[in-house]
Amino acid sequence: MTTTPDPADTTTSAQSVIVESAHADPFAPPEGETKGKTKARGQLADIWRRFKRNKLAMVGLVVVGILIVLALVQPFISPYDPYDQNLLNTLASPGGDHIMGTDALGRDLYSGLLYGLKLALLVGVSTMLGSMFVGVALGALAGYRGRFSDGIIMRVTDIFLAFPYLIGALLVVRTFGSGVTQVIIALVVLGWPTAARLMRGQMLALRESEYVEAARSIGASDWRIVTRHIMPNAIQPVFIYSFTSIGVAVVAMASLAYLGVGVPPDTPEWGRLINQGIEQVQVPGKDYLWIFPSLAICITTLAFAFVADGLRDALDPKLR
Amino acid sequence: MGKFVIRRAAQAIMVVIAATMLLFLGLFVLGDPFASTGDKVVPPATQAILREKFGMDQSVPMQYLTYLGNLFTGDLGIDLNQRRPVADMLGVALPNSARLALIAIIIDIVIGVAAGIIAAVWRYSVWDVLVTILTTLAIGLPTFVIGVWLRQTVSGFWIFPQVPRTFTELAPWYTEVLLPAFTLAIVDAAFIARLMRGSMLEVLRADYIRTARAKGLGERTVIMKHAFRNSIIPVVTYIGISIGVLLGGAIITETIFQYNGIGFLLYRSILQQNQPVIMAIVTYAVLAYVALSMIVDILYAYLDPRIRLS
Amino acid sequence: MTGAADIDLEGPPSALLEVRDLRVHFKTDYGVVKAVDGVSWSVNEGETLAIVGESGSGKSVSAMTILGLVPSPPATFPSGDVFLRGRSLLKMPEKQQRKLRGSQIAMIFQDPLTALNPVFKVGDQIAEMVRVHQDVSKHVAKKRALDLLGEVGIPNPAVRLNQYPHEFSGGMRQRAMIAMALANDPHVLLADEPTTALDVTVQAQIMALLEKLQDDRNTAIVLITHDLGVVASYADRINVMYAGRIVESGTADEIFYSPRHAYTYGLLSSLPRMDQQRQQRLQPIKGIPPSLARVPQGCPFHPRCTFATEACLPEVPSLVSVDGETHRAACVHSDRVAMAFEDRVGAK
Repeated sequence: MTTTPDPADTTTSAQSVIVESAHADPFAPPEGETKGKTKARGQLADIWRRFKRNKLAMVGLVVVGILIVLALVQPFISPYDPYDQNLLNTLASPGGDHIMGTDALGRDLYSGLLYGLKLALLVGVSTMLGSMFVGVALGALAGYRGRFSDGIIMRVTDIFLAFPYLIGALLVVRTFGSGVTQVIIALVVLGWPTAARLMRGQMLALRESEYVEAARSIGASDWRIVTRHIMPNAIQPVFIYSFTSIGVAVVAMASLAYLGVGVPPDTPEWGRLINQGIEQVQVPGKDYLWIFPSLAICITTLAFAFVADGLRDALDPKLR
Repeated sequence: MGKFVIRRAAQAIMVVIAATMLLFLGLFVLGDPFASTGDKVVPPATQAILREKFGMDQSVPMQYLTYLGNLFTGDLGIDLNQRRPVADMLGVALPNSARLALIAIIIDIVIGVAAGIIAAVWRYSVWDVLVTILTTLAIGLPTFVIGVWLRQTVSGFWIFPQVPRTFTELAPWYTEVLLPAFTLAIVDAAFIARLMRGSMLEVLRADYIRTARAKGLGERTVIMKHAFRNSIIPVVTYIGISIGVLLGGAIITETIFQYNGIGFLLYRSILQQNQPVIMAIVTYAVLAYVALSMIVDILYAYLDPRIRLS
Repeated sequence: MTGAADIDLEGPPSALLEVRDLRVHFKTDYGVVKAVDGVSWSVNEGETLAIVGESGSGKSVSAMTILGLVPSPPATFPSGDVFLRGRSLLKMPEKQQRKLRGSQIAMIFQDPLTALNPVFKVGDQIAEMVRVHQDVSKHVAKKRALDLLGEVGIPNPAVRLNQYPHEFSGGMRQRAMIAMALANDPHVLLADEPTTALDVTVQAQIMALLEKLQDDRNTAIVLITHDLGVVASYADRINVMYAGRIVESGTADEIFYSPRHAYTYGLLSSLPRMDQQRQQRLQPIKGIPPSLARVPQGCPFHPRCTFATEACLPEVPSLVSVDGETHRAACVHSDRVAMAFEDRVGAK
């Protein structure tokens, strides 16, 4: 560290004063210090090194890892069947056989939260993948081709973005009926335009860049230019956004469920558990019914937000 | 500039027409309010009578054109449940929502812009660290959860009315609006603070800031005149868009606090399959959003003279 | 407005602007960067002093220090001071310093596009300069801006006054910058690479304009540049800087016709000249300037120097007089440099 200072980390005002002419790049490392690394591996290692230094991001990454593992092994570690009602043991306080207590129907809250986690990650990741697939493809097409396809695709995104996100999702789910698949479809329908916009903006900027001009001048095909020269650079902000969008989808599903739309009524979904906790059970002292699920949502969204933040800083230190 | 405004307005009108058309199709063609669903059995004869009564026996394009025509005369149709004019229902709910949006946006701008400037000007200071931590938390926490927490902990205390409330008790509007407004403002204020900070930091590095200092201007003038005017440009875009979103109704926040605005009305209408009300509110939300993003674009051109010419 | 901080120009006969043993250091993550390390020079009314060096030699930092615009921290000033007519600028309270900025000492910058605020009209930016230092109405200030634009040779100034910087060409922008800098008739004008960003033909016009304005107002100009070519016909005296120090100083003639420092020799050998009898191959200086956090031991130029010997290593050579009172160089091998230069230029 002391022998190889990271140039990106020392953008103090001292540096900007010292660098005095247009010939010098303030972020250029001192000569001879960056050579010798293989470029691609060095870049990834650099990103990982910067990411590691961000404590919040590391916490986020660890939590995301734990959540994914919990979701995968949910059927094996769930102490009860989350759907199992026990009318003889309703509203049991946390502790004893039920570490998080039971709800108004005597269902184990901890098992419900675990099931909700699986559901949240399933919907979050599927929505992200769906929106990215559609958004990146259409955005890249619009940005690279320009003209006609750009006009059409961008007007379509305009139309979709004109609908408020949650209200739009609500209407789509109401139209297609309730269920996890319907929720994912609704969130993809409302989510892809953002990804497309982002991708298009990157494409437009990079299309005119000098190295793409250079590739074009030596006769590289469009496909090669897009996949080899533009994509690796354009994908970074989209990649960062994909983490944010998982959080957005998790919250959206919970919000829909809170409003009583989306997953079937008896599903142990976080938003629904919160709704039941505050709207239906108004027994004093039973606050754990909404506290635990709302904490579950917060932990999940914060973890993904921290990772996205850390990634952004690590990928583009200048943005900090 | 004039040409730019006209082109932008034409584009906005196209978007509104396309969006309402899509909405119309989704609501009245795919989701038939009079069809038998689940337990609700509607005899075909009744269905036909109802359709005729509400003009739904006509062709879809015809229905849409009628709707558009009525829209321009201020006729938003009749609500399917209690047969009240939709316009009257909106007349009650809209001012409440507008008030909520306005107060939220004021909290947003004041907190967000101030925090962003402070964090940028005193970079690496305690304040900067504090702003970074708070914005990270606020952006990571869902509005929905913040609303639930505020409702479960704060409502009912001090001047904040109890939720859910008994309908006999009336609270003055300014106490009612505070918690939902604050809930809505938190995330946006955090975004604005971040945007403002980043933008300000970038501008403070610019050569013209050095020029301003070399002129002998005081630091306050350098920041509040030369740096502010440049760094506010991207923030204005964000603020404008979020006004558009807020005006469109905050369905989840209004529902959590049972706040009598268009968001809560929309929620109830969706549950009751009250298509005319849904149609009216969502059309309004689309209009608000599209109009605001158009205004933002025009304002942007005004603020940045470099764009104005191209 | 100017009253409180006005410098008594009738005072003791000291130089107009004097920099004495100035050191400006920056604490960074990888060591102390000695941007300016013991530099002394002075300049008088109507005189043009050129400070020449590659980027990173500390020439701009000296200028920013004179204006009091080097943020501290991270900067520290271990020694030295700057005097305007005998009054210390570094010890002056910030408020007084600010009153001098733009009124007594003004500065123009390298890139006139980024140095002008993009969102304000050019006329307003000039008028602001007037109003910061003079208690005049908006209208008067605007009128003054109009006159200034005319004076710096901008055609159609009444229209240009209400345009934005991006509507100006590069040369016009630099003229507007000059108009702004001269708005309060400063005694000293710091010009940091004023022509670097411009076309060659425009460069000559701008330099001619500066010379004319200097003659009219008897302004002292400190011309900071990396381009010896620009300096040749405009500077009275030249300081050559390398790695935060002055390595050679003298009149323009002394520097151009009898350089005594190996670095100056290197700079001149890489410059095409019309005044030589024998055409010589251009010889660039090899290598790049050292990082200011790790300046080589001894003479900082020795790793790139063709004259370097063991004698260069023990200590940093000090600036000593060579042929004549005004000509000074900090080179152990100044005699060998002189011989090599005569050899190169030919019998003269």
